[in-house]
Amino acid sequence: MNDEAGAGAPGGGGPAAGSLLQSTRALLVAPAGLVPRVRRPTGAGRAIPVLRGMYRWASGNFPAILLLVIALTVIGVFLQGQGHDQGLTLMGLQLRNALVLGAIYALVAIGYTMVYGIIELINFAHGDVFTASGFYAILIATLFGLNGLAAGGPGGLVLALLILFPVVMLMSGLTGMIIERVAYRRLRSSPRLAPLITAIGVSFFLEGFMLTRAGPDNVPTGRSAWITTHAFTFGGVSVSWKDIFVVAVALGLMFALGAFIRGTRLGKAMRSTAQDRDAALLCGININRTISVTFFIGSALAAAAAIVYTINLEFIQWNLGYRLGIIAFTAAVLGGIGNIVGAGLGGFLIGAIYVFGGQLVGGEWSEALIFAVLVIILTFRPVGLLGVEVTTRA
Amino acid sequence: MLRRILRPATSASGEVQGGMVWWLLAVAAALMLLVGWLLPWFLEPVSGGVGFSPQDVVVSSPTGIGTILVYVLGVTMLILVLSPIAELAFRFRKGTLGPRWDRVRFAAAGTGLLLTVLVWLLVRIIQEEPLFGPVDSHTITNSAVWLTMYGYGVAAVVYGAREWVLMHPNLTFGASALPFGALLPVMFHQAPDFVLWGAQDLAIYVLLALGLNVVVGFAGLLDLGYAAFFAIGAYMCASLASPAHHLHLPLWALLFIGAMVAALFGAVLGAPTLRLRGDYLAIVTLGFGEIIPDLATNDVGGFTGGPNGISAIDQPQLGPINFGTNPQWFYWSLLIVVILVIILLRNVEHSRMGRAWVALREDEVAAAATGINTTSTKLLAFAIGASVSGFAGAFYGSMLTAITPEAFLFQVSVTVLSIIVLGGIGNIIGVIVGSFVLTFVIYWVLQNLNEWSVTLGHTINLPALSNVNFTQYTYMIYGVALVVMMLFRPGGLLPSRARRVELETGIESESLAAVQGKA
Repeated sequence: MNDEAGAGAPGGGGPAAGSLLQSTRALLVAPAGLVPRVRRPTGAGRAIPVLRGMYRWASGNFPAILLLVIALTVIGVFLQGQGHDQGLTLMGLQLRNALVLGAIYALVAIGYTMVYGIIELINFAHGDVFTASGFYAILIATLFGLNGLAAGGPGGLVLALLILFPVVMLMSGLTGMIIERVAYRRLRSSPRLAPLITAIGVSFFLEGFMLTRAGPDNVPTGRSAWITTHAFTFGGVSVSWKDIFVVAVALGLMFALGAFIRGTRLGKAMRSTAQDRDAALLCGININRTISVTFFIGSALAAAAAIVYTINLEFIQWNLGYRLGIIAFTAAVLGGIGNIVGAGLGGFLIGAIYVFGGQLVGGEWSEALIFAVLVIILTFRPVGLLGVEVTTRA
Repeated sequence: MLRRILRPATSASGEVQGGMVWWLLAVAAALMLLVGWLLPWFLEPVSGGVGFSPQDVVVSSPTGIGTILVYVLGVTMLILVLSPIAELAFRFRKGTLGPRWDRVRFAAAGTGLLLTVLVWLLVRIIQEEPLFGPVDSHTITNSAVWLTMYGYGVAAVVYGAREWVLMHPNLTFGASALPFGALLPVMFHQAPDFVLWGAQDLAIYVLLALGLNVVVGFAGLLDLGYAAFFAIGAYMCASLASPAHHLHLPLWALLFIGAMVAALFGAVLGAPTLRLRGDYLAIVTLGFGEIIPDLATNDVGGFTGGPNGISAIDQPQLGPINFGTNPQWFYWSLLIVVILVIILLRNVEHSRMGRAWVALREDEVAAAATGINTTSTKLLAFAIGASVSGFAGAFYGSMLTAITPEAFLFQVSVTVLSIIVLGGIGNIIGVIVGSFVLTFVIYWVLQNLNEWSVTLGHTINLPALSNVNFTQYTYMIYGVALVVMMLFRPGGLLPSRARRVELETGIESESLAAVQGKA
């Protein structure tokens, strides 16, 4: 417990009180410690005033520029399709893909953003918790014979989903809690790089464990046949129930989470812990339990994402979570890390950039594109779209 | 109780007794090493072997000088290990030089014991199986005897000169590691696999770790995309000295071009990230580290050869020596490079710039307030770290003669990070020890464990053992190493001085606490 008292630099708490932005936008407060927009320019900015001006402009109008670029990309895709007289169909098709992908990213991104919001740690292992959940889901489905149940008709499918989701989310949540307990709790008052390195270690351990258990090849999920029926076709774009299911699960869970954080005592405890851990401790909040719960919820959402991923796609492999994790983290940063609504929004935006950008410049560039976006966001607007700018000490 | 028994005997003035005896022993051991090495040059080699390894001494010298030599060294070792008890018999609890003294003694005795055990393993257990490549048991004994003698020698010297060692730990390390480093290809001259490991894995990772140590250890900037600079150096060298673009520039110049280009990229990457704090910087560098292999895979501008990479890279030529014929030439040239880099980095560390890095690492605002130009300081750290990596990359490409994007993935960055975390962030010697330990385990033991376990499973009739693929545990080893080190020994195996001072005196000042994870 004494580590709480000595917690290094709680970071000056949240943003200025009474900020309208904050009360309406942020559920978990964007933590202090994001480097503020400096007044004193550094690097090339100091040398060349024009560059400095451009930087300020880009940084200030970042959301508008980003949306403009995304819109241009979408138009580009439309024009590309128009070349084959299928502009709208292509656009609609990719919009569907973007929503499905974005929903998965959003669910994973929330886990990143919650953990960052509450203990200012980039939980590197989160992407691998996602992969592990995929394997849990395969395990549970085989154990309970859910694949046969789901094939037996709509009632069986619902029952299978009702078994699969809680069990896997529970397992994954416990995994997250164990990771926090073993690897992060002791280091809570250490310098920031120490838990980050531990997180990388946990990530590698999980990946190595899955590699030894599941082998280096693609593992069939056996769940892609669960929902196959076609829902409707709209303007040449066929939408299956699978797609609707993914987006619905994501949105439903996000709203449930929002209600939980806004409405329950535990949610309030999480918010106050995120704002100022020491003060929360003084108010009698059990910090350790609150942080554990945060990890539980984040991992459970990653598990939900993994389940919908395995329902949507045929294979998973041991290192799937690594890159997916970085992409989801990019989504969290884009939305403004620490901000749950931002993570949801960022997830869908990143899904759009991934799909439309990939369509425009070639699918093999999709991931490089996302990483470039990550570098650009952190360069020009580290607080993200919905993040609140906070002044802190370095 | 045990501690009291093992405590060294000192006089009332606190001076260690019996230092002279150990000095003599040390000199004797060193002499014997030297003689063991030189003598065979003057003797007729037997059986057409290379003829200058201790085994040849044992076999060839008619008087059995070599045998006697080895036995005398064995006795020396025994005395070293038993010395605490011997001292206890003469003088009992008269004060102590402190815990550091104990550590030196245990390190010395431990080195000797460890190497003896290793030798025993080499000779006894796996004699029938090729341990160091496809060689006969004769060579195994050669290498084993060499290792033992080396261990004995180091232990004796360290123990004998313990007071001097305490004053000059770095020099001692250099003096004891250098002969082993320099003679490694000779000791294992009939085991090209092992020499290849020394050149391809050990030397390259030592260089990479030294470079990353500048960025992470000295300047406190966590760089997770370090493999990117490695890739830049390698691709730079590969594309300018291979049939891929019909260019064959001299490799010795390309090494420096690779280093310079990597340094440029380091500064370019550093520039936009200057405002970012620790973990955000880590993520940006991670993104950069992912983009570079992606660019290489997607064959940007027809420059990188796509997923197949670039092959048939030229090998360096130095006078009549073509480096492609034997990895030992790569090994030795890399060794020289490593030594030069160490000297350079040590000087930089203790220069004005090095002190500026430390200040920056501990408190950026305070550093800026004292007049340190944080921009150029950070950029220089990035550039220097990247240039070492680029240099290593250029060597690596020409050594392998073929590079693919898979050789520069995130795993490489994590390997290097694990090395410096394991060895001791910020401490050059720790970094070298860390690279030795980790590359030996990952690239030598694990690779060979597959083979050994097949044999062992066959021998003891346990087929399950034959099916275990040990290399797949690499990831788990990295993971466990990082977590365990951070949780229980955040300073690494050999903590840097700031950390050591703090551990010994128990100072918990704010600035030192800030260094903890970074120093």
